[in-house]
Amino acid sequence: MVSHYLFLSIILFCLGILGVVSRRNVFIVFMSIELMLNAANLGFVSLSRLHVNMDGHVLALMVMAVAAAEAALALAVIILLHKHKGNLDTNIFSLLKG
Amino acid sequence: MITTYLFFGFALLAVLGALGLIIFKHPMNGAMSFVVTLISLAGLYALLSAKLIFAIQLIVYAGAIMSLILFIIMFLNIQEKDLPLDPNRWFYLAGGIVVVAPIAGLLIKISKSLPATEVTVFEDGFGGVKEVGQLLFTQWLLPFEIVSILLLVALVGAVVLAGKRGVN
Repeated sequence: MVSHYLFLSIILFCLGILGVVSRRNVFIVFMSIELMLNAANLGFVSLSRLHVNMDGHVLALMVMAVAAAEAALALAVIILLHKHKGNLDTNIFSLLKG
Repeated sequence: MITTYLFFGFALLAVLGALGLIIFKHPMNGAMSFVVTLISLAGLYALLSAKLIFAIQLIVYAGAIMSLILFIIMFLNIQEKDLPLDPNRWFYLAGGIVVVAPIAGLLIKISKSLPATEVTVFEDGFGGVKEVGQLLFTQWLLPFEIVSILLLVALVGAVVLAGKRGVN
Protein backbone atom coordinates (compact mmCIF):
# COMPACT_ATOMS: atom_id res chain seq x y z
CA MET A 1 0.00 0.00 0.00
CA VAL A 2 1.35 3.40 -0.95
CA SER A 3 -0.19 4.99 2.13
CA HIS A 4 2.10 2.88 4.37
CA TYR A 5 5.09 4.53 2.73
CA LEU A 6 3.49 7.92 3.41
CA PHE A 7 2.94 6.96 7.07
CA LEU A 8 6.62 6.08 7.34
CA SER A 9 7.54 9.39 5.71
CA ILE A 10 5.37 11.31 8.20
CA ILE A 11 6.86 9.42 11.16
CA LEU A 12 10.42 10.09 10.00
CA PHE A 13 9.66 13.77 9.45
CA CYS A 14 8.21 14.08 12.96
CA LEU A 15 11.25 12.32 14.43
CA GLY A 16 13.42 14.85 12.60
CA ILE A 17 11.42 17.73 14.11
CA LEU A 18 11.78 16.17 17.57
CA GLY A 19 15.54 15.86 17.08
CA VAL A 20 15.84 19.53 16.13
CA VAL A 21 13.67 20.61 19.06
CA SER A 22 15.10 18.45 21.81
CA ARG A 23 18.85 18.26 21.19
CA ARG A 24 21.54 20.89 21.64
CA ASN A 25 24.39 19.20 19.83
CA VAL A 26 25.01 20.90 16.48
CA PHE A 27 25.73 17.63 14.68
CA ILE A 28 22.53 15.98 15.90
CA VAL A 29 20.49 19.03 14.86
CA PHE A 30 22.14 18.98 11.44
CA MET A 31 21.53 15.27 10.93
CA SER A 32 17.92 15.68 12.03
CA ILE A 33 17.48 18.25 9.26
CA GLU A 34 18.92 15.70 6.84
CA LEU A 35 16.42 13.18 8.21
CA MET A 36 13.56 15.56 7.42
CA LEU A 37 14.87 16.02 3.86
CA ASN A 38 14.96 12.24 3.49
CA ALA A 39 11.42 11.89 4.76
CA ALA A 40 10.28 14.44 2.18
CA ASN A 41 12.12 12.46 -0.48
CA LEU A 42 10.32 9.28 0.54
CA GLY A 43 7.03 11.14 0.22
CA PHE A 44 7.92 12.37 -3.26
CA VAL A 45 8.97 8.94 -4.47
CA SER A 46 5.96 7.11 -3.04
CA LEU A 47 3.47 9.62 -4.48
CA SER A 48 5.35 9.31 -7.75
CA ARG A 49 4.76 5.54 -7.58
CA LEU A 50 1.08 6.14 -6.81
CA HIS A 51 0.54 8.25 -9.91
CA VAL A 52 3.02 6.29 -12.09
CA ASN A 53 4.67 9.57 -12.99
CA MET A 54 8.36 10.24 -12.62
CA ASP A 55 8.33 13.94 -11.74
CA GLY A 56 8.69 12.99 -8.08
CA HIS A 57 11.94 11.18 -8.84
CA VAL A 58 13.36 14.31 -10.43
CA LEU A 59 12.26 16.36 -7.42
CA ALA A 60 13.95 13.85 -5.12
CA LEU A 61 17.13 14.27 -7.14
CA MET A 62 16.90 18.05 -6.71
CA VAL A 63 16.40 17.64 -2.96
CA MET A 64 19.46 15.43 -2.77
CA ALA A 65 21.57 18.01 -4.63
CA VAL A 66 20.35 20.75 -2.27
CA ALA A 67 21.12 18.49 0.70
CA ALA A 68 24.65 17.92 -0.58
CA ALA A 69 25.22 21.67 -0.95
CA GLU A 70 23.74 22.24 2.50
CA ALA A 71 25.99 19.58 4.02
CA ALA A 72 29.12 21.15 2.58
CA LEU A 73 28.23 24.65 3.80
CA ALA A 74 26.89 23.59 7.20
CA LEU A 75 29.96 21.50 7.98
CA ALA A 76 32.22 24.42 7.05
CA VAL A 77 30.22 26.64 9.42
CA ILE A 78 30.42 24.00 12.18
CA ILE A 79 34.22 23.83 11.80
CA LEU A 80 34.45 27.64 12.07
CA LEU A 81 32.19 27.74 15.13
CA HIS A 82 34.15 24.96 16.81
CA LYS A 83 37.37 26.85 16.08
CA HIS A 84 35.99 30.04 17.66
CA LYS A 85 34.15 28.62 20.66
CA GLY A 86 35.62 25.15 21.20
CA ASN A 87 32.18 23.74 21.82
CA LEU A 88 29.28 22.15 20.00
CA ASP A 89 26.42 23.54 22.07
CA THR A 90 23.83 25.44 20.03
CA ASN A 91 23.09 27.71 23.00
CA ILE A 92 26.65 29.07 22.98
CA PHE A 93 26.45 30.21 19.37
CA SER A 94 24.65 33.48 20.09
CA LEU A 95 26.92 35.98 18.35
CA LEU A 96 23.99 37.76 16.73
CA LYS A 97 22.13 38.29 19.97
CA GLY A 98 22.05 42.00 20.88
CA MET B 1 3.83 -10.74 -0.50
CA ILE B 2 7.58 -10.67 -0.03
CA THR B 3 7.54 -6.94 -0.76
CA THR B 4 5.23 -6.40 2.23
CA TYR B 5 7.64 -8.18 4.58
CA LEU B 6 10.55 -6.27 3.09
CA PHE B 7 8.66 -3.01 3.54
CA PHE B 8 7.98 -3.67 7.21
CA GLY B 9 11.56 -4.74 7.82
CA PHE B 10 13.00 -1.65 6.17
CA ALA B 11 10.44 0.63 7.84
CA LEU B 12 11.30 -0.80 11.28
CA LEU B 13 15.01 -0.32 10.63
CA ALA B 14 14.45 3.25 9.41
CA VAL B 15 12.41 4.24 12.46
CA LEU B 16 14.88 2.58 14.85
CA GLY B 17 17.78 4.37 13.17
CA ALA B 18 16.00 7.72 13.43
CA LEU B 19 15.18 7.07 17.10
CA GLY B 20 18.83 6.24 17.72
CA LEU B 21 19.83 9.50 16.04
CA ILE B 22 17.74 11.60 18.40
CA ILE B 23 18.52 9.55 21.52
CA PHE B 24 22.25 8.68 21.42
CA LYS B 25 24.41 11.17 23.25
CA HIS B 26 27.58 11.05 21.17
CA PRO B 27 27.23 12.36 17.58
CA MET B 28 29.30 9.45 16.26
CA ASN B 29 26.75 6.91 17.53
CA GLY B 30 23.97 9.11 16.16
CA ALA B 31 25.62 9.30 12.75
CA MET B 32 26.10 5.53 12.64
CA SER B 33 22.45 4.89 13.41
CA PHE B 34 21.46 7.54 10.84
CA VAL B 35 23.39 5.54 8.22
CA VAL B 36 21.07 2.60 9.00
CA THR B 37 18.09 4.86 8.29
CA LEU B 38 19.59 6.04 5.00
CA ILE B 39 20.37 2.53 3.77
CA SER B 40 16.92 1.21 4.65
CA LEU B 41 15.41 4.21 2.84
CA ALA B 42 17.42 3.14 -0.20
CA GLY B 43 15.79 -0.30 0.12
CA LEU B 44 12.37 1.34 0.24
CA TYR B 45 13.15 3.28 -2.94
CA ALA B 46 14.04 -0.01 -4.60
CA LEU B 47 10.68 -1.44 -3.49
CA LEU B 48 8.97 1.61 -5.04
CA SER B 49 10.86 0.73 -8.28
CA ALA B 50 12.80 3.99 -8.22
CA LYS B 51 16.05 2.41 -9.38
CA LEU B 52 17.95 5.61 -10.09
CA ILE B 53 16.97 7.15 -6.75
CA PHE B 54 17.97 3.91 -5.01
CA ALA B 55 21.46 4.06 -6.50
CA ILE B 56 21.84 7.77 -5.83
CA GLN B 57 20.62 7.41 -2.26
CA LEU B 58 23.30 4.80 -1.62
CA ILE B 59 26.08 6.63 -3.45
CA VAL B 60 25.40 10.29 -2.59
CA TYR B 61 23.59 10.12 0.76
CA ALA B 62 24.89 7.02 2.53
CA GLY B 63 28.21 7.32 0.74
CA ALA B 64 29.28 10.90 0.19
CA ILE B 65 27.29 13.05 2.61
CA MET B 66 27.50 10.68 5.56
CA SER B 67 31.21 10.05 5.09
CA LEU B 68 31.71 13.83 4.99
CA ILE B 69 29.79 14.18 8.26
CA LEU B 70 31.67 11.29 9.88
CA PHE B 71 34.96 12.77 8.68
CA ILE B 72 34.15 16.13 10.27
CA ILE B 73 33.01 14.47 13.53
CA MET B 74 36.31 12.57 13.72
CA PHE B 75 38.25 15.65 12.61
CA LEU B 76 36.92 17.71 15.52
CA ASN B 77 37.93 14.91 17.95
CA ILE B 78 34.90 15.24 20.20
CA GLN B 79 35.49 13.99 23.73
CA GLU B 80 32.84 13.08 26.26
CA LYS B 81 33.41 16.36 28.13
CA ASP B 82 32.95 18.52 25.00
CA LEU B 83 29.39 17.32 24.55
CA PRO B 84 26.74 19.84 25.58
CA LEU B 85 24.82 18.90 28.67
CA ASP B 86 21.21 18.32 27.82
CA PRO B 87 19.60 18.61 31.23
CA ASN B 88 16.07 19.11 29.96
CA ARG B 89 16.16 17.23 26.66
CA TRP B 90 13.45 14.81 27.82
CA PHE B 91 11.30 17.79 28.74
CA TYR B 92 11.74 19.31 25.28
CA LEU B 93 11.21 15.90 23.72
CA ALA B 94 7.89 15.47 25.55
CA GLY B 95 6.84 18.99 24.58
CA GLY B 96 7.79 18.34 20.97
CA ILE B 97 5.76 15.13 20.94
CA VAL B 98 2.74 16.99 22.30
CA VAL B 99 3.03 19.60 19.54
CA VAL B 100 3.90 17.26 16.67
CA ALA B 101 1.52 14.35 17.39
CA PRO B 102 -1.72 16.12 16.33
CA ILE B 103 -0.11 17.29 13.08
CA ALA B 104 1.13 13.77 12.39
CA GLY B 105 -2.31 12.38 13.15
CA LEU B 106 -3.90 14.83 10.73
CA LEU B 107 -1.40 13.99 7.99
CA ILE B 108 -1.90 10.24 8.52
CA LYS B 109 -5.67 10.74 8.31
CA ILE B 110 -5.21 12.63 5.03
CA SER B 111 -2.93 10.01 3.52
CA LYS B 112 -5.41 7.28 4.48
CA SER B 113 -7.87 8.88 2.07
CA LEU B 114 -5.58 8.19 -0.90
CA PRO B 115 -6.56 5.36 -3.25
CA ALA B 116 -5.26 2.02 -1.96
CA THR B 117 -2.78 1.06 -4.66
CA GLU B 118 -0.88 -2.15 -4.08
CA VAL B 119 2.84 -1.52 -4.62
CA THR B 120 4.25 -3.88 -7.19
CA VAL B 121 7.75 -3.64 -8.54
CA PHE B 122 7.85 -2.59 -12.19
CA GLU B 123 10.33 -4.58 -14.23
CA ASP B 124 11.39 -1.71 -16.50
CA GLY B 125 10.06 1.44 -18.07
CA PHE B 126 9.68 3.22 -14.74
CA GLY B 127 12.26 4.92 -12.59
CA GLY B 128 15.33 3.74 -14.45
CA VAL B 129 18.22 5.94 -15.50
CA LYS B 130 16.92 6.32 -19.05
CA GLU B 131 13.37 7.37 -18.20
CA VAL B 132 14.27 9.76 -15.37
CA GLY B 133 17.15 11.15 -17.42
CA GLN B 134 14.87 11.89 -20.36
CA LEU B 135 12.46 13.68 -18.05
CA LEU B 136 15.29 15.55 -16.32
CA PHE B 137 16.85 16.84 -19.52
CA THR B 138 13.64 17.80 -21.28
CA GLN B 139 11.01 19.11 -18.86
CA TRP B 140 13.27 19.84 -15.90
CA LEU B 141 16.23 21.35 -17.73
CA LEU B 142 16.05 24.80 -16.12
CA PRO B 143 15.80 23.50 -12.53
CA PHE B 144 18.70 21.16 -13.30
CA GLU B 145 20.87 24.08 -14.43
CA ILE B 146 19.86 26.13 -11.39
CA VAL B 147 20.81 23.25 -9.09
CA SER B 148 24.18 22.95 -10.79
CA ILE B 149 24.80 26.67 -10.19
CA LEU B 150 23.72 26.17 -6.56
CA LEU B 151 26.26 23.36 -6.16
CA LEU B 152 29.00 25.55 -7.64
CA VAL B 153 28.14 28.41 -5.27
CA ALA B 154 28.08 26.04 -2.29
CA LEU B 155 31.49 24.66 -3.30
CA VAL B 156 33.01 28.14 -3.48
CA GLY B 157 31.33 29.13 -0.21
CA ALA B 158 32.61 26.07 1.62
CA VAL B 159 36.16 26.70 0.42
CA VAL B 160 35.97 30.37 1.43
CA LEU B 161 34.49 29.57 4.86
CA ALA B 162 36.59 26.59 5.89
CA GLY B 163 39.83 27.60 4.24
CA LYS B 164 40.15 30.90 6.08
CA ARG B 165 43.65 31.52 7.41
CA GLY B 166 44.59 33.49 10.51
CA VAL B 167 41.42 32.85 12.48
CA ASN B 168 42.04 31.83 16.05
